[in-house]
Amino acid sequence: MTKKLRIYIPFASNELKRQLAYKGAFYLFIFISLFGAFIQYFLWMAIYGSTDNASLGGLTQNEMIVYVFMVYVTSSMVMITISDWVSEDVVKGMVAMNLIKPIDYRASLISRAMGQAVYRFLVPGVFIWIGLEIYKVKVLGMSVTSITNILLYLVSCIMSFLICVLFDFCFGMVAFFTTYIFGMLMAKEALMSFLTGQLIPLSFFPGIVQKVFDFLPFSSMVYTPVMIYLGKYSGSELYFVLGRQLVWVVILYVLGSIIWKQVTKRLVVLGG
Amino acid sequence: MIKTAKRYLRLYKVLIAQFFKVILQSKVDFLMGLLGFFFTQFMGIAFLYLVFQQIPSLKGWTLEQLIFIYGFAQIPRGIDHLFTDNIWMVAWRIVINGEFDRYMLRPMNVFFQVISEKLQPDALGELLVGSILVISSLVKGIVVVDFEHGLLFVVSVFAGALIYTSIKLFFASLAFWVKISGPFLQVAYEMADFAKYPTEIYAKAIRFIITWIIPFAFVAYLPASYFLGVGGFLGMNSNAVVIGIECIIAIVFWIVAYAVFHKGTMIYESAGN
Repeated sequence: MTKKLRIYIPFASNELKRQLAYKGAFYLFIFISLFGAFIQYFLWMAIYGSTDNASLGGLTQNEMIVYVFMVYVTSSMVMITISDWVSEDVVKGMVAMNLIKPIDYRASLISRAMGQAVYRFLVPGVFIWIGLEIYKVKVLGMSVTSITNILLYLVSCIMSFLICVLFDFCFGMVAFFTTYIFGMLMAKEALMSFLTGQLIPLSFFPGIVQKVFDFLPFSSMVYTPVMIYLGKYSGSELYFVLGRQLVWVVILYVLGSIIWKQVTKRLVVLGG
Repeated sequence: MIKTAKRYLRLYKVLIAQFFKVILQSKVDFLMGLLGFFFTQFMGIAFLYLVFQQIPSLKGWTLEQLIFIYGFAQIPRGIDHLFTDNIWMVAWRIVINGEFDRYMLRPMNVFFQVISEKLQPDALGELLVGSILVISSLVKGIVVVDFEHGLLFVVSVFAGALIYTSIKLFFASLAFWVKISGPFLQVAYEMADFAKYPTEIYAKAIRFIITWIIPFAFVAYLPASYFLGVGGFLGMNSNAVVIGIECIIAIVFWIVAYAVFHKGTMIYESAGN
């Protein structure tokens, strides 16, 4: 186990260093994605201002503000795109190199993603989170989020991270069949921003659609941890959503292994 | 004068022929890109639809009106995206690695050379969504249809595209001074997302910025509300003056952007070795 860790930790720490080296690009990313969060914020304020109902989709206006910004914090942390790296490796023929090394390709990608997740947690994540908590208490007059909820949220986030990267690994396998995945990436991102609850809380969907979402991995990626943070689950429901996340981690892990085996079997690497 | 115009037109025709060859050669890539942009826009509409299940109107705007604004916003954006996508490369790459030399050596207008290097087929996704939404709004009868509005629609779409191009050109031209201006351009370009919704919902500072500093409100929301025959602007009630101001902004921004670009090409120094 410690030997394994020794092998894979450099992948994570190197990614962290790489991120630190290109700070400019990263701050830009934060700045632009914050635009999105603020547009959402103003939109929701207008939406709540247009109705007499105190809550929409089970969330009050104040909870919605927390929802919008926690979705931002959570998704920038857990939604790491590794399919990009896979496609890059395929195009450059690096996959062959990775196959002859005595390391697991997927584990190396996940370690790398971990490095990025840690960085994103440190740089925009924590600051916006703290800012949000202060705003919540001082301006909105809500109470500070309890330690239990924060811990549960973090546990849930770790599983979200695993679900995201394991899923994206499966998706990245497409790169073995086509070299232009830019369009697919855009379509995937658009679809996922919807299915994960990034764009709108899943509770806004009609009941029947929500039932379908219960059987998909996407709701476990962002919606679940944020709703845990908001304290929307209690008792057995809480165990259920956490358990469901764990089940998805296992399913996607197994699925990824199977696909990987199939793909490498038919892999043809030219030149060398 | 006419001779020059003819020459440029002929050159552009050659380029467009190349563009169709590219599409035919990589049909899958083309369809994927189209699908990607199509999906992104479609999700925005689905979001509005879900929200309107809960509320009757948003600050007095109906779902149909918001969809029209959203769709209308895509058309000038798509036109600009289709024709001038290569400006992005000036901001990110062409200046810093010295590729710009090429443009300086040919006896042709430099700006023409930059934009004629590439047509972006992905933009058809935006144009498609925009057209579908605008046409469906026409069918629903929520848009004012008469000669004046029809004419100004065309004017507004092109003025809007020119505003987009000018903003892109201005920020890309900064690359002549700072070498890579991509980040600035990206931030400015993303501001356009604010103008897909009625600007009354934003805080005063944001509203001011997107109306007067980086005037995307004049590309999307303000002309769209004129075509809907609703919404007041500076106290005027859905007035054709909005389109007039849009045109003035387009021309002024274009002159400034082009001057900055021109000045940039003067001080351009190659990458060297």
